Amino acid sequence: MLQNFSYQAPETLKDLYALLKKSNGKATILAGGTDLLVNMHNNWISPESLIDIKKIPDLKGITFNPKTGLSIGATTVCIDLINNKDVKKHYPLLAEAAHNIGSPQLRNRATIAGNLCTASPCADMGCSLLALGASVELGSADGVRVIPLKDFFTGPKKTQIKKHEVLLRIIVPVEMAGAKFGMRKLKRIKGHDIAVASVAMARTAKVMRIGVGSAAPTPVVTADLAASTTLEKAVAAAEKVICPIDDVRAGAEYRRFMVKEFVGQIYPELF
Amino acid sequence: MKITLTVNGKKYQRDASETKNLLHFLREDLGLTGTKEGCGAGECGACTVIMNGKTVNSCLILAVEADGTDIKTIEGEAKNGKLSKLQVAFKKNHAVQCGFCTPGMIMSTRALLEANPKPTVEQIKQAIEGNFCRCTGYQQIIEAVQDASGQLKKKEGLKRA
Repeated sequence: MLQNFSYQAPETLKDLYALLKKSNGKATILAGGTDLLVNMHNNWISPESLIDIKKIPDLKGITFNPKTGLSIGATTVCIDLINNKDVKKHYPLLAEAAHNIGSPQLRNRATIAGNLCTASPCADMGCSLLALGASVELGSADGVRVIPLKDFFTGPKKTQIKKHEVLLRIIVPVEMAGAKFGMRKLKRIKGHDIAVASVAMARTAKVMRIGVGSAAPTPVVTADLAASTTLEKAVAAAEKVICPIDDVRAGAEYRRFMVKEFVGQIYPELF
Repeated sequence: MKITLTVNGKKYQRDASETKNLLHFLREDLGLTGTKEGCGAGECGACTVIMNGKTVNSCLILAVEADGTDIKTIEGEAKNGKLSKLQVAFKKNHAVQCGFCTPGMIMSTRALLEANPKPTVEQIKQAIEGNFCRCTGYQQIIEAVQDASGQLKKKEGLKRA
């Protein structure tokens, strides 16, 4: 038995917005639950109410539009992203990143949006979506706003989402469709583990970006680099955006070393 | 909250506590105690069940979230007191020692075999990535799945029952 809380599962966005407004920050959104229920099990958090968003049709599904790019609904789970034809064809980096998350059981349940909203510094989807220049659409009774993912994370476990807001979908720009890419994730074991350091890189004819996880208080990304950026400059750009710490998993210097190493490993794959 | 779900082909309607997870609901409300609780936090996979065709950690799902779903647990493996082919393979290949991880292991490998009847060793390893076994060292479990899928080659110099 978990702590006491109330459970609601609205079926429309309108009802969801009304519930969020009424709860005034005391409700927590439940999607995959693979992080939330662990935190509740361990008594790290005790929300007064849970609002399950999985019954809302507007938040479901992945769509690709050749003009606007990819849209990943808030309740899309990892396995759906991994198996999606458009994702495999246009944004294979995302399928690879989602495959790096947790175990099969977790990938069948955990949502991509939840991985972002949890805002762990090691979020596997964070660095890949950052490298692809993604944005997030946030909604509330007051309207909808879109913000770049690079501005979304504000600290460990902290985001720009306001208490009455919900993440509706993730948008990946069409300009990044077909980008050359590469990803590395350093783990302590080969199986199910969180990243000690991770790097995702994407490059089109116009731009190169490097997303880095587990090496700063949030997943971070370099500025938009020129597509012709040299390896030395790419490594320097990655080093500029990270500020790793020593913790139980690894030391700061090791993390810094591995980020530079990974950029060096991925770089040739982008050409 | 009133929920209706199908478990191993049988329909159940129950009043489920909103604060109870699916694992405890299966064990306490339906009396299906084959599914085990290890860590309770989605790490060990002992509580793995198949929900709408996909493996999930039943400790990380509220019973009320399972409303309307189709679930398979270890109790659905044996039919009329006869072990399933997969269970027999686990037994024959010594893939069970203490047995605590076995219900979850069988569910993960059952889902694998349904999607892919002839998995490679690498695919078997990936399928059980979320299931911890602290006894066998995994090798016998991998061999059991190879055996159940008709792929086990006899090892030289090693007689197996």
